[in-house]
Amino acid sequence: MKLLLIEDDVHTAAYVAAGLRQQGHTVDQAGNGRDGLFLAAGGEHDVLVVDRMLPGLDGLSLVRTLRATGTTAPVLFLTTLGGIDDRVDGLEAGGDDYLVKPFAFAELLARVNALARRPRLSDRPAVLEVADLRMDLLARTLTRAGRPIELQPREFQLLEYLMRHAGRVVTRTMLLEGVWDFHFDPRTNIVETHISRLRGKIGGPGEPELIHTVRGAGYLIRAPA
Amino acid sequence: MRPPRLFRTAIVRLAALYGALFGVSVIVLGVVVFLTADAALKSQMDRHLNAEAQALALDFAAGGRDRLAGAVRARAAIRGAGALDYGLTGPDGRLLAGDLRLPPGAEGRLTLPARPAGGEEQGEQDNAALRVLALRLADGSVLAVGDDLGRIDDVQEAILRAFAWALAATLALGAGGGVALGAGFLRRIDAITRTAEAIIAGDLRRRITLRGTGDDLDRLAGTLNRMLDRIGALMDSLRQVSADIAHDLRTPLARLRQRLETARDDAAIEAAVAEVDAILETFSALLRIAEIEAGARRAAFRPVDLAEIAAPVTEAFAPAAEDAGRRLVLAAPGGQAMVQGDRGLLTQLLANLVENALHHTPPGTKITIGVDPRGPLLSVADDGPGVPAAERENVLRRFYRLERSRTSAGSGLGLSLVAAIADLHGARVTLGDNAPGLVVRVAFGSGTHGQGNTVPG
Repeated sequence: MKLLLIEDDVHTAAYVAAGLRQQGHTVDQAGNGRDGLFLAAGGEHDVLVVDRMLPGLDGLSLVRTLRATGTTAPVLFLTTLGGIDDRVDGLEAGGDDYLVKPFAFAELLARVNALARRPRLSDRPAVLEVADLRMDLLARTLTRAGRPIELQPREFQLLEYLMRHAGRVVTRTMLLEGVWDFHFDPRTNIVETHISRLRGKIGGPGEPELIHTVRGAGYLIRAPA
Repeated sequence: MRPPRLFRTAIVRLAALYGALFGVSVIVLGVVVFLTADAALKSQMDRHLNAEAQALALDFAAGGRDRLAGAVRARAAIRGAGALDYGLTGPDGRLLAGDLRLPPGAEGRLTLPARPAGGEEQGEQDNAALRVLALRLADGSVLAVGDDLGRIDDVQEAILRAFAWALAATLALGAGGGVALGAGFLRRIDAITRTAEAIIAGDLRRRITLRGTGDDLDRLAGTLNRMLDRIGALMDSLRQVSADIAHDLRTPLARLRQRLETARDDAAIEAAVAEVDAILETFSALLRIAEIEAGARRAAFRPVDLAEIAAPVTEAFAPAAEDAGRRLVLAAPGGQAMVQGDRGLLTQLLANLVENALHHTPPGTKITIGVDPRGPLLSVADDGPGVPAAERENVLRRFYRLERSRTSAGSGLGLSLVAAIADLHGARVTLGDNAPGLVVRVAFGSGTHGQGNTVPG
């Protein structure tokens, strides 16, 4: 995957770029808004990672300009301040996700992956399948190996989120935002307890585990190898 | 019922005060004129009576009682406006001439209440009192000359009527002028009030419009605008400093975290990462509190149903509470509990209160989230050991800045965040006895926005 990182802090940029390259991505870098705009306008990147505070041209204006000129590549904003309106501002300017600095690299990676393969609204499937687990989004039903499973609405939503990102890591924060709409970090292990209940409901005796914990990163649903 | 708005304004009260002052002045002036006129008229009447009596006394001196009686009869016969009353009474008290009867022994100046009933002359005279001068002559008979006080009454009545009109006109002009002046004044005060309200609501860029007349109000508005500019400049520099601190501290912390992470394998490094995360979390909370307290979010307030906040929070925390051996339930009587607010912040407020309850109660405790449309009220109650009444104040104080520096980072900031969010929504946080246990209540709509929460004594 080809990524563009627009970030003025040299250390963060080097760290993020190195990490992404280690994951096998190609990373272009820009240290200010103008260079970033120039590179992004080429339209050859799968995901743009844009710092909100940039010299030359700030992140919001940069993305607004990109969107106005028809660049559709998904944008992940990096914000430094604990700004509670930053998320809304960023999304309104045309960003697709945001991440507050400082962040764990795993968090950034999970979000970049989620953005890169985000399906368009039109080709959202009506049925999600992982191994023998089958979720019908229209009938709101779930079966495993043909056996119906009853879920609480929130558990259904949680599983849906995992299955939409099947094969990719989703972080605790992504789940809090995407499933509960909590844009703060509770000290209580809400996500963990829900995941554990979900595992109990979808896993029958002798069946292989589908939901995996990725240490230091988050969770992942995938068919057993 | 409250009086109409205009009548509650200071300028109308001032106008009323001035009106009353002018009214009293007119009344005092009227009384003085009335008394002066009364005295002048009476003294003129007395001089007239005196001259008349002296003239008749000359007749007596020249021709004795008979000539005097003739003269009295001749004068008494004159009728018409300004005519006087006469009477000559013999030493035996018999009326010899004229028609002015005196009470026995009367002499000198006196006022007779009214013409005695059954007097010979009824005619045009009314029953007004008479002013009389009685002279005792050398032979013991008494000569009396009297004038009708009713003539003075007429003049006095005219004076009173004139002053009554003047008083009415003064009051009408005072009230009308006051209302007209007050309405104009009120419009300008309203403009200042609206600007101030907008600023309180978070629109710090608003200024009062000047009229350019350079009058007192204009100068006041100009001074207020300059004050607002100054406050704005201070706020901007404060914000800049905060942003600088945030950037300067967070960036090295972030790098530290990154370096630790790239080397993570060792348990000690993992502990160090957790430590850095705790510092960063505290830092985020502080920034968030500062931002909430700046009040800029209020402009984005929407109607929010507290029940729709309580349900997902209960649902989200219930499994975790259960795993920790506590029970979390929602007690909502149904119906909407609408407040003007920020859904995200109110969710965080409730989540922090629930976490506070989870961390400070023993296993086996039942924690109840309550929503009451009356108030409206949001509450988190537990049936744990509770907090003694004497110590509740200290606990509540942990919600507030005063004690912030002394509390442990986590829960102290959590409660400070609760206080900041409640304050932003004009809500009051109180602690009460749940008998047994503790109940934390957040009451909305009771206070005005931005008013500080108080520790109940």
